[in-house]
Amino acid sequence: MISLNEVQKKFGARVAVDALTLAVPRGEIFGLLGHNGAGKSTAIGIMLGQVWPTRGEVRICGHDVTTHRAQALQKVGAIFEAPAFYDYLSGWRNLEILSHYSAPTSAARIREVVEWVGLTGRERSPVKTYSHGMRARLALAQALLPQPELLILDEPGNGLDPEGIAEMRRTIARLHRELGLTILLSSHQLAEVEQLCTRIAVLNRGCKVFEGWVADVKAAQGRMQLRTPDFTAATMLLREQGIITDAIDGRYISLAPGRTIAEATKILVGANFSIDGIWQHEQTLEDFYLGLVKAASPKN
Amino acid sequence: MFFTQLKNELWKLFGKKRTYIGFGAFILVQTIMLLMFKYTRWESQFEKMLSGNGYLASDYISALTVALVMLTPQVLLLMPLYVALVGGDLVAKEAEDGTLRMILSRPISRFRLLLVKWSAGIIFSLLLVVALDFVALGFARTLFPWKGMFVFAPMLSTFGVFSPDDGLALYVFSSLFVVMNAIAQLSVAFMFSCFNIKPAAATILSLSYLFMNMVMENIPFFKPYQNWFITHHFDCWLLVFQSPTPWAQILQSEITLLAISATAFLIGAVAFQVRDIKS
Repeated sequence: MISLNEVQKKFGARVAVDALTLAVPRGEIFGLLGHNGAGKSTAIGIMLGQVWPTRGEVRICGHDVTTHRAQALQKVGAIFEAPAFYDYLSGWRNLEILSHYSAPTSAARIREVVEWVGLTGRERSPVKTYSHGMRARLALAQALLPQPELLILDEPGNGLDPEGIAEMRRTIARLHRELGLTILLSSHQLAEVEQLCTRIAVLNRGCKVFEGWVADVKAAQGRMQLRTPDFTAATMLLREQGIITDAIDGRYISLAPGRTIAEATKILVGANFSIDGIWQHEQTLEDFYLGLVKAASPKN
Repeated sequence: MFFTQLKNELWKLFGKKRTYIGFGAFILVQTIMLLMFKYTRWESQFEKMLSGNGYLASDYISALTVALVMLTPQVLLLMPLYVALVGGDLVAKEAEDGTLRMILSRPISRFRLLLVKWSAGIIFSLLLVVALDFVALGFARTLFPWKGMFVFAPMLSTFGVFSPDDGLALYVFSSLFVVMNAIAQLSVAFMFSCFNIKPAAATILSLSYLFMNMVMENIPFFKPYQNWFITHHFDCWLLVFQSPTPWAQILQSEITLLAISATAFLIGAVAFQVRDIKS
């Protein structure tokens, strides 16, 4: 659905995006992570033909965005951080104006989308009277009007309160479930990405430093959590027996290749250690992301 | 589809309060000028000028004469200001507000978008001039009778007296050329608006360009080169009142203004095409 191949963007001497290669298959919710200035918005701008790449190729729905932008964006909807509207006009008029830049849109279609996003009854009010949450819903409505197959969301939860964020999360999941949309989600909110996305890519200073499955990230490379009153003695014994290779933070152990939790438990019980619990540790996306960014920083 | 997009562009343009600043200012200025004409020595000076040239003043101090007198400084000074204000906003304001990014996530080409916006600007220019002309004439008619028309523009060596019917026909005809002036002024502002600058900067740059032309045109050294200054061609709307009508000169000015407008649009389109649209 989205394919970026060795894309680079320079603003003067500054490289905003460098050698970015990315593939988002149809039907996926793909997360794009990165700190402020990492190049996420520039990458999205390039995908939408708003920012010209210095080099590289960008394809959306099989069409080259640089040379066939109109075909490429025919079935694409986008929402940006702090969506901007013509505040002095009604929500309905805004939808009419924006949708007609894609294709003729019937009043019935607008009504259908307004109902889908839950704006019925307020669509004729000026946008300046809308709350932040209503503006977010209007932004979603304008993105859905051209019946997109791909939805690009650039920091959609920014500025929303916790309720708004939860609503946005439910809506994204619903869009994927009910409409079968492919979604590219750029966000700072790692918890949202963790709950919604199947795959992620992490950008750091314009470069991609990771691309992979969220499930793999959470599996945490074979790390276990061990709860015992005497962690130091227990891990010393396990290390002597060749069951573990590492013990970290008084909580985590890393099993040696081929060793299992059952073996570790048997040895500890046999040595009369009291065990409160031992289980596979699930790393949070936040742990992973922060570790990744730290590892990629120039100081390391 | 183009006309639907144009209709929507007009909704955006005329939905904004600032679009009406020009219309409001014209009404205010015309009211003040009309009262000054009626209740100061302005009217008596006009009567003296007519009598000195052998005309019966009471036949020519009319709604048409006063409307034209009110129109001249407004076309020269106020109209460029309000047209540049709207022209400078057309693209730059959308970029500043972030709505341009929303639009350009859609499959519309940048050239098409500009063409729609420029067309909306042209319609605004047309409506502004129509309003200016009709309001001037309507206001003047409330205090002055419907009689012959007297035209005096010393800078262009224009002096003429016309019957009410001829005067009205020339008044309407001259409006077409005022519209062309407004379109050229709007196109210059539109061009600057397409660059990556603030809307106020686009307006100020276009006004600076126009006033620089006006100043240079009036420097004696540049007299032989006055055809090169856009403001020189803005005067052609008053040439229709000359007898005989200098058609060649009018045609030259109109073609020049048309060419400047088209060139400004194309420069703006190229600048807009190559720029990056970022939040």
